[in-house]
Amino acid sequence: MSTELALLLLWGTVVGLDLVSGPQVMVARPFVAGTVAGAVLGDVAAGATVGAILELYALDVLPVGAARYPDYGPAAVAAAATAANAPLAMALGPAVGLGLVIGWIGEVAMHQLRRANARRVHRAATELEAGDAAVLRRVHWFGLWGDMLRSVTVTGLGLGAAFALRELAPPPMRLAVLAGVVVVAVGIATAAGGAFRLTGSRGAVSWLAAGVVAGLVLAVLT
Amino acid sequence: MRLFTVQASWNYERMVGIGVGFATEPLLEPLRDERGDEAHRAALARAARYFNAHPYFTSFAVGAQARAERDGVPPHQVERLRQALVAPLGSMGDRLVWAGWLPATAAIGLLLVVAGHPWIGIAAFLLLYNAFHLAIRIGGLVGGWRLGLDVGRALGRRELRWGLSAAPAFAGLALGLALPVVARWGAMLVAPGAWWAVAVVGAAAFAVTRWFLPALGGLRLALALLTIGAIAEVLWP
Repeated sequence: MSTELALLLLWGTVVGLDLVSGPQVMVARPFVAGTVAGAVLGDVAAGATVGAILELYALDVLPVGAARYPDYGPAAVAAAATAANAPLAMALGPAVGLGLVIGWIGEVAMHQLRRANARRVHRAATELEAGDAAVLRRVHWFGLWGDMLRSVTVTGLGLGAAFALRELAPPPMRLAVLAGVVVVAVGIATAAGGAFRLTGSRGAVSWLAAGVVAGLVLAVLT
Repeated sequence: MRLFTVQASWNYERMVGIGVGFATEPLLEPLRDERGDEAHRAALARAARYFNAHPYFTSFAVGAQARAERDGVPPHQVERLRQALVAPLGSMGDRLVWAGWLPATAAIGLLLVVAGHPWIGIAAFLLLYNAFHLAIRIGGLVGGWRLGLDVGRALGRRELRWGLSAAPAFAGLALGLALPVVARWGAMLVAPGAWWAVAVVGAAAFAVTRWFLPALGGLRLALALLTIGAIAEVLWP
Protein backbone atom coordinates (compact mmCIF):
# COMPACT_ATOMS: atom_id res chain seq x y z
CA MET A 1 0.00 0.00 0.00
CA SER A 2 1.47 3.38 -0.95
CA THR A 3 2.18 5.95 1.73
CA GLU A 4 -0.35 8.34 0.21
CA LEU A 5 -3.09 5.73 0.22
CA ALA A 6 -2.33 4.78 3.83
CA LEU A 7 -2.39 8.45 4.88
CA LEU A 8 -5.67 9.06 3.07
CA LEU A 9 -7.23 6.00 4.71
CA LEU A 10 -6.02 7.21 8.10
CA TRP A 11 -7.23 10.76 7.51
CA GLY A 12 -10.59 9.55 6.23
CA THR A 13 -11.00 7.42 9.37
CA VAL A 14 -10.11 10.36 11.60
CA VAL A 15 -12.59 12.70 9.95
CA GLY A 16 -15.24 9.98 9.89
CA LEU A 17 -14.83 9.50 13.64
CA ASP A 18 -14.86 13.24 14.27
CA LEU A 19 -18.38 13.54 12.83
CA VAL A 20 -20.11 11.95 15.83
CA SER A 21 -18.05 9.56 17.97
CA GLY A 22 -14.91 11.57 18.30
CA PRO A 23 -14.05 14.93 19.75
CA GLN A 24 -16.17 16.80 17.15
CA VAL A 25 -13.51 19.45 16.67
CA MET A 26 -14.83 19.83 13.11
CA VAL A 27 -11.92 18.44 11.12
CA ALA A 28 -14.78 16.51 9.52
CA ARG A 29 -15.95 19.69 7.77
CA PRO A 30 -15.45 19.05 4.06
CA PHE A 31 -13.31 22.10 3.38
CA VAL A 32 -10.92 20.99 6.14
CA ALA A 33 -10.95 17.30 5.21
CA GLY A 34 -10.62 18.00 1.50
CA THR A 35 -7.76 20.48 1.82
CA VAL A 36 -5.70 18.13 3.98
CA ALA A 37 -6.41 15.23 1.61
CA GLY A 38 -5.32 17.40 -1.29
CA ALA A 39 -2.12 18.23 0.58
CA VAL A 40 -1.38 14.52 1.01
CA LEU A 41 -1.71 14.11 -2.74
CA GLY A 42 0.35 17.20 -3.55
CA ASP A 43 -2.57 19.28 -4.82
CA VAL A 44 -3.90 21.53 -2.08
CA ALA A 45 -5.89 23.66 -4.52
CA ALA A 46 -7.88 20.71 -5.84
CA GLY A 47 -8.61 19.41 -2.36
CA ALA A 48 -9.64 22.85 -1.13
CA THR A 49 -11.86 23.41 -4.17
CA VAL A 50 -13.84 20.17 -3.95
CA GLY A 51 -13.94 20.55 -0.18
CA ALA A 52 -15.37 24.06 -0.50
CA ILE A 53 -18.11 22.91 -2.85
CA LEU A 54 -19.05 20.01 -0.58
CA GLU A 55 -19.08 22.52 2.30
CA LEU A 56 -22.00 24.25 0.55
CA TYR A 57 -24.03 21.06 0.96
CA ALA A 58 -22.85 20.63 4.55
CA LEU A 59 -24.06 24.13 5.45
CA ASP A 60 -27.61 22.86 5.02
CA VAL A 61 -27.14 20.13 7.64
CA LEU A 62 -28.56 20.52 11.15
CA PRO A 63 -27.26 17.48 13.13
CA VAL A 64 -29.93 17.60 15.83
CA GLY A 65 -31.23 14.67 17.83
CA ALA A 66 -31.90 11.57 15.76
CA ALA A 67 -31.52 13.37 12.42
CA ARG A 68 -29.74 11.55 9.63
CA TYR A 69 -27.14 13.45 7.64
CA PRO A 70 -24.40 12.70 5.14
CA ASP A 71 -20.83 12.01 6.21
CA TYR A 72 -19.02 14.70 4.24
CA GLY A 73 -15.56 14.08 5.77
CA PRO A 74 -14.69 10.83 3.96
CA ALA A 75 -16.70 12.24 1.05
CA ALA A 76 -14.26 15.13 0.75
CA VAL A 77 -11.29 12.74 0.94
CA ALA A 78 -12.73 10.70 -1.94
CA ALA A 79 -13.46 13.87 -3.92
CA ALA A 80 -9.91 15.15 -3.39
CA ALA A 81 -8.52 11.80 -4.52
CA THR A 82 -10.56 12.08 -7.72
CA ALA A 83 -9.64 15.67 -8.50
CA ALA A 84 -6.00 15.88 -7.41
CA ASN A 85 -3.47 16.50 -10.16
CA ALA A 86 -6.14 16.41 -12.88
CA PRO A 87 -7.51 19.28 -15.00
CA LEU A 88 -9.92 20.88 -12.55
CA ALA A 89 -12.54 21.90 -15.12
CA MET A 90 -12.94 18.25 -16.11
CA ALA A 91 -12.46 16.67 -12.71
CA LEU A 92 -14.56 18.95 -10.52
CA GLY A 93 -18.03 17.65 -11.39
CA PRO A 94 -17.21 13.93 -11.19
CA ALA A 95 -15.16 14.45 -8.02
CA VAL A 96 -17.89 16.31 -6.13
CA GLY A 97 -20.51 13.93 -7.55
CA LEU A 98 -18.57 10.99 -6.15
CA GLY A 99 -18.22 12.87 -2.88
CA LEU A 100 -21.99 13.25 -2.66
CA VAL A 101 -22.47 9.51 -3.24
CA ILE A 102 -19.89 8.64 -0.57
CA GLY A 103 -21.46 11.14 1.81
CA TRP A 104 -24.84 9.44 1.36
CA ILE A 105 -23.29 5.98 1.87
CA GLY A 106 -21.69 7.27 5.07
CA GLU A 107 -25.12 8.44 6.24
CA VAL A 108 -26.67 5.02 5.61
CA ALA A 109 -23.77 3.30 7.38
CA MET A 110 -24.14 5.58 10.40
CA HIS A 111 -27.85 4.71 10.64
CA GLN A 112 -27.00 0.99 10.59
CA LEU A 113 -24.33 1.51 13.25
CA ARG A 114 -26.81 3.28 15.51
CA ARG A 115 -29.23 0.39 15.11
CA ALA A 116 -26.42 -2.04 15.96
CA ASN A 117 -25.62 0.05 19.04
CA ALA A 118 -29.27 -0.11 20.07
CA ARG A 119 -29.31 -3.91 19.72
CA ARG A 120 -26.16 -4.11 21.83
CA VAL A 121 -27.70 -1.87 24.50
CA HIS A 122 -30.89 -3.90 24.47
CA ARG A 123 -28.97 -7.17 24.97
CA ALA A 124 -27.02 -5.67 27.87
CA ALA A 125 -30.04 -3.99 29.48
CA THR A 126 -30.07 -6.19 32.59
CA GLU A 127 -26.39 -5.63 33.35
CA LEU A 128 -26.69 -1.89 32.62
CA GLU A 129 -29.64 -1.56 35.00
CA ALA A 130 -27.58 -3.39 37.59
CA GLY A 131 -24.87 -0.74 37.25
CA ASP A 132 -22.22 -3.07 35.82
CA ALA A 133 -19.34 -0.73 34.98
CA ALA A 134 -17.45 -3.25 32.83
CA VAL A 135 -20.50 -3.86 30.63
CA LEU A 136 -21.11 -0.12 30.35
CA ARG A 137 -17.55 0.42 29.15
CA ARG A 138 -17.81 -2.52 26.72
CA VAL A 139 -21.04 -1.21 25.17
CA HIS A 140 -19.52 2.25 24.77
CA TRP A 141 -16.30 0.93 23.23
CA PHE A 142 -18.34 -1.25 20.87
CA GLY A 143 -19.83 1.94 19.49
CA LEU A 144 -16.45 3.59 19.09
CA TRP A 145 -14.82 0.62 17.38
CA GLY A 146 -17.90 0.24 15.22
CA ASP A 147 -17.64 3.82 14.06
CA MET A 148 -13.94 3.38 13.35
CA LEU A 149 -14.78 0.38 11.17
CA ARG A 150 -17.54 2.37 9.47
CA SER A 151 -15.21 5.28 8.76
CA VAL A 152 -12.37 3.21 7.35
CA THR A 153 -14.81 1.20 5.21
CA VAL A 154 -16.55 4.27 3.78
CA THR A 155 -13.19 5.94 3.13
CA GLY A 156 -11.83 2.79 1.46
CA LEU A 157 -14.91 2.59 -0.71
CA GLY A 158 -14.51 6.23 -1.65
CA LEU A 159 -10.85 5.84 -2.55
CA GLY A 160 -11.59 2.74 -4.60
CA ALA A 161 -14.33 4.56 -6.47
CA ALA A 162 -12.02 7.53 -7.01
CA PHE A 163 -9.44 5.26 -8.60
CA ALA A 164 -12.10 3.67 -10.83
CA LEU A 165 -13.42 7.06 -11.90
CA ARG A 166 -9.98 8.42 -12.72
CA GLU A 167 -8.32 5.42 -14.30
CA LEU A 168 -10.97 3.00 -15.50
CA ALA A 169 -14.08 4.98 -16.40
CA PRO A 170 -13.41 8.71 -16.73
CA PRO A 171 -16.62 10.42 -17.82
CA PRO A 172 -16.77 12.08 -21.25
CA MET A 173 -16.00 15.80 -21.39
CA ARG A 174 -19.57 16.97 -21.99
CA LEU A 175 -20.88 15.04 -18.99
CA ALA A 176 -17.98 16.15 -16.80
CA VAL A 177 -18.57 19.82 -17.56
CA LEU A 178 -22.33 19.50 -17.06
CA ALA A 179 -21.70 17.69 -13.80
CA GLY A 180 -19.56 20.61 -12.66
CA VAL A 181 -22.35 23.09 -13.36
CA VAL A 182 -24.89 20.91 -11.54
CA VAL A 183 -22.86 20.28 -8.39
CA VAL A 184 -21.86 23.94 -8.04
CA ALA A 185 -25.32 25.35 -8.80
CA VAL A 186 -27.18 22.92 -6.54
CA GLY A 187 -24.53 23.44 -3.85
CA ILE A 188 -25.07 27.19 -3.87
CA ALA A 189 -28.84 26.69 -3.79
CA THR A 190 -28.51 24.23 -0.93
CA ALA A 191 -26.38 26.60 1.12
CA ALA A 192 -28.78 29.45 0.43
CA GLY A 193 -31.70 27.30 1.49
CA GLY A 194 -29.83 26.35 4.64
CA ALA A 195 -29.11 30.00 5.41
CA PHE A 196 -32.81 30.86 5.08
CA ARG A 197 -33.78 27.89 7.20
CA LEU A 198 -31.38 28.90 9.97
CA THR A 199 -32.27 32.55 10.08
CA GLY A 200 -35.74 32.95 8.59
CA SER A 201 -37.77 31.43 11.35
CA ARG A 202 -35.84 33.29 14.01
CA GLY A 203 -36.15 36.86 12.80
CA ALA A 204 -32.54 37.13 11.71
CA VAL A 205 -33.43 37.53 8.05
CA SER A 206 -32.44 41.18 8.16
CA TRP A 207 -28.95 40.16 9.22
CA LEU A 208 -28.85 37.62 6.41
CA ALA A 209 -29.94 40.32 3.97
CA ALA A 210 -27.27 42.71 5.26
CA GLY A 211 -24.69 40.00 4.83
CA VAL A 212 -25.85 39.28 1.28
CA VAL A 213 -25.58 42.99 0.36
CA ALA A 214 -22.07 43.15 1.80
CA GLY A 215 -21.20 39.89 0.06
CA LEU A 216 -22.43 41.21 -3.29
CA VAL A 217 -20.24 44.29 -2.90
CA LEU A 218 -17.29 42.08 -1.99
CA ALA A 219 -17.94 39.77 -4.93
CA VAL A 220 -18.05 42.68 -7.35
CA LEU A 221 -14.95 44.37 -5.97
CA THR A 222 -12.72 41.27 -5.82
CA MET B 1 -11.40 13.26 28.19
CA ARG B 2 -14.28 10.77 28.18
CA LEU B 3 -16.65 13.60 27.33
CA PHE B 4 -14.96 13.87 23.92
CA THR B 5 -16.36 10.44 23.01
CA VAL B 6 -19.77 10.95 24.63
CA GLN B 7 -21.62 10.15 21.40
CA ALA B 8 -19.59 7.04 20.46
CA SER B 9 -22.38 4.69 21.59
CA TRP B 10 -25.27 6.88 20.38
CA ASN B 11 -28.28 4.72 19.62
CA TYR B 12 -32.01 5.10 19.02
CA GLU B 13 -32.89 3.50 22.36
CA ARG B 14 -30.96 5.51 24.96
CA MET B 15 -29.65 8.26 22.64
CA VAL B 16 -26.51 9.62 24.37
CA GLY B 17 -27.32 7.94 27.70
CA ILE B 18 -24.61 5.28 27.54
CA GLY B 19 -22.04 7.94 26.71
CA VAL B 20 -23.16 10.08 29.64
CA GLY B 21 -22.84 7.07 31.92
CA PHE B 22 -19.37 6.35 30.54
CA ALA B 23 -18.28 9.96 31.10
CA THR B 24 -19.77 10.08 34.61
CA GLU B 25 -18.23 6.77 35.75
CA PRO B 26 -14.90 8.18 37.06
CA LEU B 27 -16.73 10.85 39.09
CA LEU B 28 -18.92 8.17 40.71
CA GLU B 29 -16.04 5.83 41.56
CA PRO B 30 -15.51 7.29 45.09
CA LEU B 31 -19.11 6.27 45.91
CA ARG B 32 -17.84 2.72 46.39
CA ASP B 33 -15.88 3.78 49.48
CA GLU B 34 -18.27 6.57 50.54
CA ARG B 35 -21.56 4.67 50.34
CA GLY B 36 -20.82 1.10 49.31
CA ASP B 37 -20.94 -0.96 46.16
CA GLU B 38 -24.74 -1.05 45.87
CA ALA B 39 -25.06 2.73 45.97
CA HIS B 40 -22.30 3.05 43.37
CA ARG B 41 -24.00 0.57 41.03
CA ALA B 42 -27.38 2.26 41.41
CA ALA B 43 -25.86 5.68 40.63
CA LEU B 44 -24.07 4.30 37.56
CA ALA B 45 -27.28 2.67 36.31
CA ARG B 46 -29.09 6.02 36.62
CA ALA B 47 -26.28 7.81 34.80
CA ALA B 48 -26.50 5.46 31.80
CA ARG B 49 -30.25 5.70 31.23
CA TYR B 50 -31.94 7.52 28.36
CA PHE B 51 -30.61 11.02 27.83
CA ASN B 52 -30.71 13.37 24.87
CA ALA B 53 -28.80 16.64 24.64
CA HIS B 54 -26.33 18.52 22.52
CA PRO B 55 -23.03 16.61 22.90
CA TYR B 56 -21.06 19.60 24.20
CA PHE B 57 -23.75 20.47 26.71
CA THR B 58 -23.86 16.96 28.16
CA SER B 59 -20.92 18.13 30.28
CA PHE B 60 -23.40 20.15 32.38
CA ALA B 61 -25.41 17.01 33.01
CA VAL B 62 -22.36 14.88 33.78
CA GLY B 63 -21.04 17.36 36.34
CA ALA B 64 -24.41 18.08 37.93
CA GLN B 65 -25.54 14.48 38.21
CA ALA B 66 -22.21 13.29 39.59
CA ARG B 67 -22.27 16.04 42.20
CA ALA B 68 -25.87 15.25 43.16
CA GLU B 69 -25.04 11.55 43.57
CA ARG B 70 -21.93 12.28 45.63
CA ASP B 71 -23.96 14.67 47.82
CA GLY B 72 -26.44 11.86 48.55
CA VAL B 73 -29.41 13.47 46.80
CA PRO B 74 -32.35 11.00 46.76
CA PRO B 75 -32.54 8.93 43.54
CA HIS B 76 -35.93 10.29 42.44
CA GLN B 77 -34.53 13.84 42.58
CA VAL B 78 -31.51 12.83 40.52
CA GLU B 79 -33.89 11.33 37.94
CA ARG B 80 -35.94 14.53 37.92
CA LEU B 81 -32.76 16.56 37.42
CA ARG B 82 -31.85 14.44 34.37
CA GLN B 83 -35.33 14.76 32.88
CA ALA B 84 -35.36 18.51 33.50
CA LEU B 85 -32.01 18.96 31.75
CA VAL B 86 -32.87 17.18 28.49
CA ALA B 87 -34.88 20.00 26.94
CA PRO B 88 -32.65 23.00 27.78
CA LEU B 89 -29.35 21.23 27.09
CA GLY B 90 -30.70 20.09 23.74
CA SER B 91 -32.33 23.27 22.52
CA MET B 92 -29.63 25.57 23.87
CA GLY B 93 -26.88 23.59 22.21
CA ASP B 94 -28.70 23.24 18.91
CA ARG B 95 -29.49 26.96 18.69
CA LEU B 96 -26.14 28.20 19.95
CA VAL B 97 -23.82 25.74 18.22
CA TRP B 98 -25.37 23.79 15.33
CA ALA B 99 -27.53 26.67 14.09
CA GLY B 100 -25.29 29.52 15.22
CA TRP B 101 -21.59 29.25 15.88
CA LEU B 102 -20.88 26.37 13.48
CA PRO B 103 -22.40 27.84 10.29
CA ALA B 104 -21.01 31.29 11.17
CA THR B 105 -17.42 30.14 11.62
CA ALA B 106 -17.66 27.69 8.71
CA ALA B 107 -18.80 30.55 6.46
CA ILE B 108 -15.78 32.62 7.53
CA GLY B 109 -13.44 29.71 6.87
CA LEU B 110 -15.08 29.04 3.51
CA LEU B 111 -14.66 32.68 2.48
CA LEU B 112 -10.95 32.50 3.17
CA VAL B 113 -10.62 29.21 1.30
CA VAL B 114 -12.26 30.52 -1.88
CA ALA B 115 -10.18 33.70 -1.57
CA GLY B 116 -7.12 31.50 -2.08
CA HIS B 117 -6.01 31.10 1.55
CA PRO B 118 -7.09 27.57 2.48
CA TRP B 119 -4.71 27.06 5.42
CA ILE B 120 -5.56 30.44 6.94
CA GLY B 121 -9.24 29.64 6.45
CA ILE B 122 -8.90 26.27 8.13
CA ALA B 123 -6.85 27.67 11.00
CA ALA B 124 -9.26 30.55 11.57
CA PHE B 125 -12.26 28.22 11.52
CA LEU B 126 -10.79 25.58 13.82
CA LEU B 127 -9.44 28.10 16.32
CA LEU B 128 -12.60 30.23 16.46
CA TYR B 129 -14.95 27.27 16.59
CA ASN B 130 -13.06 25.20 19.12
CA ALA B 131 -12.38 28.07 21.50
CA PHE B 132 -16.14 28.21 22.04
CA HIS B 133 -16.55 24.43 21.87
CA LEU B 134 -13.98 23.76 24.58
CA ALA B 135 -15.30 26.58 26.75
CA ILE B 136 -18.71 24.89 26.77
CA ARG B 137 -17.39 21.39 27.46
CA ILE B 138 -15.02 22.40 30.23
CA GLY B 139 -17.18 25.16 31.66
CA GLY B 140 -20.20 22.89 31.64
CA LEU B 141 -18.43 20.12 33.54
CA VAL B 142 -16.98 22.51 36.11
CA GLY B 143 -20.21 24.48 36.45
CA GLY B 144 -22.32 21.34 36.72
CA TRP B 145 -20.04 19.88 39.38
CA ARG B 146 -19.95 23.14 41.34
CA LEU B 147 -23.71 23.71 41.31
CA GLY B 148 -25.15 20.18 41.35
CA LEU B 149 -28.95 20.45 41.60
CA ASP B 150 -28.69 24.21 41.03
CA VAL B 151 -27.10 23.74 37.61
CA GLY B 152 -29.97 25.70 36.13
CA ARG B 153 -28.18 28.83 37.36
CA ALA B 154 -25.21 28.04 35.10
CA LEU B 155 -27.55 27.65 32.15
CA GLY B 156 -29.06 31.02 32.89
CA ARG B 157 -25.75 32.87 32.79
CA ARG B 158 -25.76 36.22 31.03
CA GLU B 159 -23.12 35.11 28.52
CA LEU B 160 -25.19 32.13 27.39
CA ARG B 161 -28.37 34.18 27.13
CA TRP B 162 -26.56 36.80 25.10
CA GLY B 163 -25.11 34.10 22.90
CA LEU B 164 -28.56 32.63 22.25
CA SER B 165 -29.89 35.99 21.10
CA ALA B 166 -26.80 36.87 19.04
CA ALA B 167 -26.19 33.48 17.39
CA PRO B 168 -28.82 33.72 14.62
CA ALA B 169 -27.71 37.25 13.71
CA PHE B 170 -24.07 36.24 13.57
CA ALA B 171 -24.84 33.14 11.51
CA GLY B 172 -27.07 35.14 9.15
CA LEU B 173 -24.47 37.85 8.64
CA ALA B 174 -21.60 35.42 8.02
CA LEU B 175 -23.61 33.16 5.71
CA GLY B 176 -25.02 36.14 3.82
CA LEU B 177 -21.51 37.54 3.32
CA ALA B 178 -20.13 34.22 2.10
CA LEU B 179 -22.92 33.19 -0.28
CA PRO B 180 -22.46 35.76 -3.09
CA VAL B 181 -18.66 35.49 -2.97
CA VAL B 182 -18.70 31.69 -3.09
CA ALA B 183 -21.42 31.70 -5.76
CA ARG B 184 -19.33 33.96 -8.00
CA TRP B 185 -16.22 31.89 -7.36
CA GLY B 186 -18.04 28.64 -8.15
CA ALA B 187 -19.67 29.97 -11.30
CA MET B 188 -16.36 31.29 -12.64
CA LEU B 189 -14.79 27.93 -11.86
CA VAL B 190 -17.15 25.72 -13.86
CA ALA B 191 -18.57 28.08 -16.43
CA PRO B 192 -16.47 31.21 -16.83
CA GLY B 193 -18.28 32.22 -20.00
CA ALA B 194 -21.68 30.91 -18.98
CA TRP B 195 -22.22 31.92 -15.35
CA TRP B 196 -25.87 32.37 -16.26
CA ALA B 197 -26.20 28.57 -16.61
CA VAL B 198 -25.12 28.18 -13.00
CA ALA B 199 -27.56 30.93 -11.99
CA VAL B 200 -30.50 29.29 -13.81
CA VAL B 201 -29.81 25.81 -12.45
CA GLY B 202 -29.18 27.25 -9.00
CA ALA B 203 -32.42 29.22 -8.97
CA ALA B 204 -34.39 26.18 -10.09
CA ALA B 205 -32.70 24.01 -7.49
CA PHE B 206 -33.48 26.56 -4.78
CA ALA B 207 -37.14 26.60 -5.77
CA VAL B 208 -37.35 22.81 -5.83
CA THR B 209 -35.63 22.24 -2.46
CA ARG B 210 -37.31 25.15 -0.71
CA TRP B 211 -40.88 25.06 -1.97
CA PHE B 212 -41.74 22.09 -4.19
CA LEU B 213 -39.84 19.16 -2.71
CA PRO B 214 -38.28 20.35 0.57
CA ALA B 215 -37.84 16.75 1.79
CA LEU B 216 -35.59 16.01 -1.19
CA GLY B 217 -32.62 18.08 -0.08
CA GLY B 218 -29.69 19.36 -2.10
CA LEU B 219 -27.63 16.17 -2.04
CA ARG B 220 -30.41 13.98 -3.43
CA LEU B 221 -31.37 16.60 -6.01
CA ALA B 222 -27.77 16.84 -7.24
CA LEU B 223 -27.47 13.05 -7.43
CA ALA B 224 -30.77 12.80 -9.29
CA LEU B 225 -29.66 15.39 -11.85
CA LEU B 226 -26.26 13.71 -12.26
CA THR B 227 -27.97 10.35 -12.80
CA ILE B 228 -30.27 11.83 -15.44
CA GLY B 229 -27.25 13.40 -17.12
CA ALA B 230 -25.36 10.11 -17.13
CA ILE B 231 -28.33 8.24 -18.60
CA ALA B 232 -28.75 10.92 -21.28
CA GLU B 233 -25.06 10.66 -22.13
CA VAL B 234 -25.42 6.91 -22.61
CA LEU B 235 -28.56 7.21 -24.73
CA TRP B 236 -27.36 10.18 -26.80
CA PRO B 237 -23.53 10.09 -26.81
